[in-house]
Amino acid sequence: MAETPCKSKLKSLRGKPSPSTPVPATPQPLTPRRSPRLASGGSIQQQTPQKRDAEADGSDRCGTPRSAKKSRRSIGGAFDSSPGNCAFSPGSPDPPESRRGGRRKAEERHNVPRATKKRVYYKKVVYDDGQFEVGDDVYVRRREDAESDADDPEVEDCRICFNSGKSIMIECDDCLGGFHLKCLNPPLKEVPEGDWICTFCEARKLGKIVVPPKPPEGKRIRRTFKEKLLSSDLWAARIEGLWKEPDGSYWAKVRWYMIPEETAVGRQPHNLRRELYCTTEMDTVELESVLRHCYVMNPKEFVKADNEGDDVFLCEYEYDVQWHSFKRLAEIDGYDNDEDDTDEEWKFSKDDDDSTDGDSEYEKESSRGPAYKHQMRQVAANSCKGRIFGLQKVGIKKIPEHVRCHKQTELEKAKTMLLLATLPKSLPCRTKEMEEITIFIKNAISEENCLGRCLYIHGVPGTGKTMTVHTVMRNLRSEVDSGLLGPYCLVEINGLKLSTPETIYRAIYEALTGHRVGWRKALHLLNERFCEGKTVGKEDRRPCVLLIDELDLLVTRNQSVLYNILDWPTKLHSRLIVIGIANTMDLPDKLLPRISSRMGIQRLCFGPYNYQQLQEIISCRLRGVNVFEEQAVEFASRKVAAISGDARRALEICRRAAELADYRQKQLPQSMVESLHLNDRNFLIGINDVEAAIQEMFQAPHIQVIKSCPRLSKIFMVAMVHEVYRTGICEITFEKLAAAASRLCASNGEEFPGWDILFKVGCKLGECRIILCEEGGKHRLQKMQLNFPSDDVAFALKDCPEIPWLAKYL
Amino acid sequence: MVEKKAAAAAEASVLLRRRLCDSAFIFAPLRSSPDGNYSKLKFLISNSITEACNNSVLILGPRGSGKNAVLELVLEDLRGEYQDMISVVRLNGLLHGDDNYGMKEIARQLCLEHGLLFSKIASSDDNSRFLIDMLRECGLAHKTVIFVLDEFDLFTQGKQRLLYGLLDAMQSLVSQSVVIGVSCRLDADQLLEKRVRSRFSHRKLLFVPPSVEDLQRLVERILYLPADFSSPCDFVTEFNSKLGKIFVDKKFKDVLGSVSNVDGSISNLLRFLFRVVSSLDLESGLLSLDNFKTASLSIHRHPKMENIRNASILELYLLVCMHRLEVKEQNSYNFNSIMKEYKAIHDAYKSSDCRGGNACLRAFEHLLERELISFTDTRRGGLSIEYRPVKLLVSPHELHQGLKSYPSCPVILQKLLNHETYK
Repeated sequence: MAETPCKSKLKSLRGKPSPSTPVPATPQPLTPRRSPRLASGGSIQQQTPQKRDAEADGSDRCGTPRSAKKSRRSIGGAFDSSPGNCAFSPGSPDPPESRRGGRRKAEERHNVPRATKKRVYYKKVVYDDGQFEVGDDVYVRRREDAESDADDPEVEDCRICFNSGKSIMIECDDCLGGFHLKCLNPPLKEVPEGDWICTFCEARKLGKIVVPPKPPEGKRIRRTFKEKLLSSDLWAARIEGLWKEPDGSYWAKVRWYMIPEETAVGRQPHNLRRELYCTTEMDTVELESVLRHCYVMNPKEFVKADNEGDDVFLCEYEYDVQWHSFKRLAEIDGYDNDEDDTDEEWKFSKDDDDSTDGDSEYEKESSRGPAYKHQMRQVAANSCKGRIFGLQKVGIKKIPEHVRCHKQTELEKAKTMLLLATLPKSLPCRTKEMEEITIFIKNAISEENCLGRCLYIHGVPGTGKTMTVHTVMRNLRSEVDSGLLGPYCLVEINGLKLSTPETIYRAIYEALTGHRVGWRKALHLLNERFCEGKTVGKEDRRPCVLLIDELDLLVTRNQSVLYNILDWPTKLHSRLIVIGIANTMDLPDKLLPRISSRMGIQRLCFGPYNYQQLQEIISCRLRGVNVFEEQAVEFASRKVAAISGDARRALEICRRAAELADYRQKQLPQSMVESLHLNDRNFLIGINDVEAAIQEMFQAPHIQVIKSCPRLSKIFMVAMVHEVYRTGICEITFEKLAAAASRLCASNGEEFPGWDILFKVGCKLGECRIILCEEGGKHRLQKMQLNFPSDDVAFALKDCPEIPWLAKYL
Repeated sequence: MVEKKAAAAAEASVLLRRRLCDSAFIFAPLRSSPDGNYSKLKFLISNSITEACNNSVLILGPRGSGKNAVLELVLEDLRGEYQDMISVVRLNGLLHGDDNYGMKEIARQLCLEHGLLFSKIASSDDNSRFLIDMLRECGLAHKTVIFVLDEFDLFTQGKQRLLYGLLDAMQSLVSQSVVIGVSCRLDADQLLEKRVRSRFSHRKLLFVPPSVEDLQRLVERILYLPADFSSPCDFVTEFNSKLGKIFVDKKFKDVLGSVSNVDGSISNLLRFLFRVVSSLDLESGLLSLDNFKTASLSIHRHPKMENIRNASILELYLLVCMHRLEVKEQNSYNFNSIMKEYKAIHDAYKSSDCRGGNACLRAFEHLLERELISFTDTRRGGLSIEYRPVKLLVSPHELHQGLKSYPSCPVILQKLLNHETYK
């Protein structure tokens, strides 16, 4: 029998959870999934295990590799160990304590230099009739004493009649047992929509004791791989690498999956039955112990999956074995492809045994327990290298329930759609600009010597400049992928994120080559590369698109940074295209002539959006979520278009309006909400909410503060307004103001508090910037001035209930 | 019996003082009101925790209106509600206004919170990249990072790289963070640079001083002793009934009005009450109206007036001389011209107490120290004191008042002042 691979984390396994333990009710699953199981196809595959067994026996004869793993553990490094190790009883489960991740890894490292010479790596391996690829998910054998492979059915039996048969089966969402539709009582005609729970589980939930039907005499309940996995008799893993050892055995590097029961917190109430966690743990296993494919999917795929049969699992989180913490798996979205690519590369370099020494050392160290922590090389998390190293610690001990069980209401969906971070599916209203940029880049790339290619994009904030360029880049990227366009590299830099303009050289150089050097050195190297055409390697010949956001931040006193960057494209061998983005229209004209002549030729203006465009943008995002009144959206877009035409503002107003409505709704008593839902399913966001949001966003709060400020402050301000009217000069010294205030008080029977207190009041007002004033040390000579139009003060204090006489002076 | 009562009184004053210093106690009733700032702020933050979105909000209001106290209360409650899901990074504009230093401080606090190793020498580039990575990782782990920027207006000096970095990092879907700016400047959002402003969510919460009725309710809540106070229960009833009598008194309302007329903020009220409680008479163990009155007087000091009252006769002479010079529309004057005027007065009135130049110079320096007068320009340090131009910092009105209340003011001084003023 094949040597059982083992996970180093067996220690966290606390007994074998019996599958019959009543599980807490499955919470509202993210993904109401109903898998009609088809009985077809089972018969062919059912033979494979046997065949595999036979072959396994065959390969057993050919010698050592089966026990290689074992021997490596015991002897330490020797691959071709004596066959004496075969004495290891094949029936016994592995003693878990002998498997410590750290040690084994270290030993593997020892092996690397010797083995790599002859190792052959594969992307895809056909082994025992199964085809395994890097990235596939597979079942891995866990213990030897389990039922033999022979009765691993692909299709499980009906829980009632204990046959599989060809008719449609339905899966209970609680116990995952399969039932023939016709066997049920009453029989079902078709697979129902939504969740379905079998009668046994229903009864168990009600507290009754039910005896599930016993299988007929002589027939055991055959457990499928899935059931074995979920009761920790099997392992699931993802293949991260495949290779053939010099002696002909096939090995795989796998990343383990874990079932919720094996984590430190155990199964959490919101865990779905078919949920697995991806772990941070990797091991090498022999391909022999790999049984067959399973399908671990992210939630999105999981919803859609229905043809993969029984072996479908959901994996949304990564579980850190060392820190016992969870983390969401990064969603691989089409949008941040760039990031994911680098991630991927990094992962490979880290996981591969062939990677540089430093990296594998990291791995080794990080896989050791906390006991070794002090010996770790001290790497700070915020320095460059530590960034990779330290962050795995971040994770949550327990997945919060609200994340999984909460069903989004319409309002919340709308809020999510309106988030600035949410990338819309399409980018409306900028088709013309997009075309122009696409043409520019395409031309520039396809030309043999792209001489002097610069594009200057300008427009006020929030008009979609950066986003448009990104969209274009994404589109081009897909063209590159399909081979329509030659490859190019994209370097993206934001001027505001550089600490000084000169660091841009460093950033460019790092993005191009991955090396970090000082900026002077980087400048030198870049000059060499772009001016003299010196390149290293093939990659460097690709055209390079340099996207500089917030270009105006790069303007230095002698403007040399901008000049250098804009000069490179004009060089013969540079193959550099610069796209600069900034707000001001006349930035090139304000610069030195030699720069503006290089930059100012091709410009593209992003005008502010008008209200129709804003409306389209908003409604495009809100498509499918019907919570906004038509007029409300129009009102918001008209308002923003009148002020700035900033799409971010418009989205924020709508989001705020949705938030206000949500707040309003949640404040309502529960019964009201329910009746609301009954009467009119949609709780619409009206024009009032938008109005309130606009008020909050655009109105300065000073009027409200003036209205509610203490009595003396009011008198102070009225005296000030009065004096300003009288003299016609808006600046006034404290001395004059105090005199005026005391006159006001005297003629209205108000007690004058004295100069010193009045002075204090003035300083308080100055703090809030209702008035602007000099520092307090000047006392009577302190100059002050209203920060807002005096009409605002008049408006706020005209009908003040406490001091009615103020109106006289306004 | 008397001792027992004194002990109870001491205990009561300890309890009251503890209450006054405990902002959680003071602001606790805000929890229940649905349209108060507490619930709005809490809704906003908990929203971004549960819905995994980014938000930014400005908390504005005059100093002492409880912005930070309410924020702390909200954060405290949320910490209890969502354990292990919140990490708070606190920055203060006075300390971290510099962009690079601010970034470093953010990295330091994040490292501290998550048990990572922090390096002091990391460049700001590294730090900002660390921030972005960290936000991503925290977002993936369902953790919300809350940035509290106190004295928000001070972050807006310079290129606002820190704010841009923070707000731009929030434009990604995985991160979940809240930026909370706290400022007493009402125009704080106008100070943002246009790019930063465009990325800011523009949510504003305004804190305004409470009305007089609210203040009175707060006073009652603070000062009434609880019924289960651990002392003879007749003391509690006596104490509370005395307070009840005071609270309905017209004079008490006047006192409270005079406090809130100047500064109606909660912190000012607490300061006032602290003085009241401190002057509690341990003999009787009860608060009286006099306690309130003296406390009100003691927080409304008149520093300039007191300075004049404490000045020597010679110093008063100098002040009057300066005033006379100003009346003569001589706008720039220095010690020498003051001395000339001083001599002239003595010559005209033939008074006997004319002092020499040195004594006058000493008096002049005292006046400078007390900031009753000041140099008009501080930059020219080369000149000696006698020649530097000075300005009078008290108004004639204050001077007049001061002389009137001066216990042994020479008649001639008042005459000089009046004569010139009302000529």
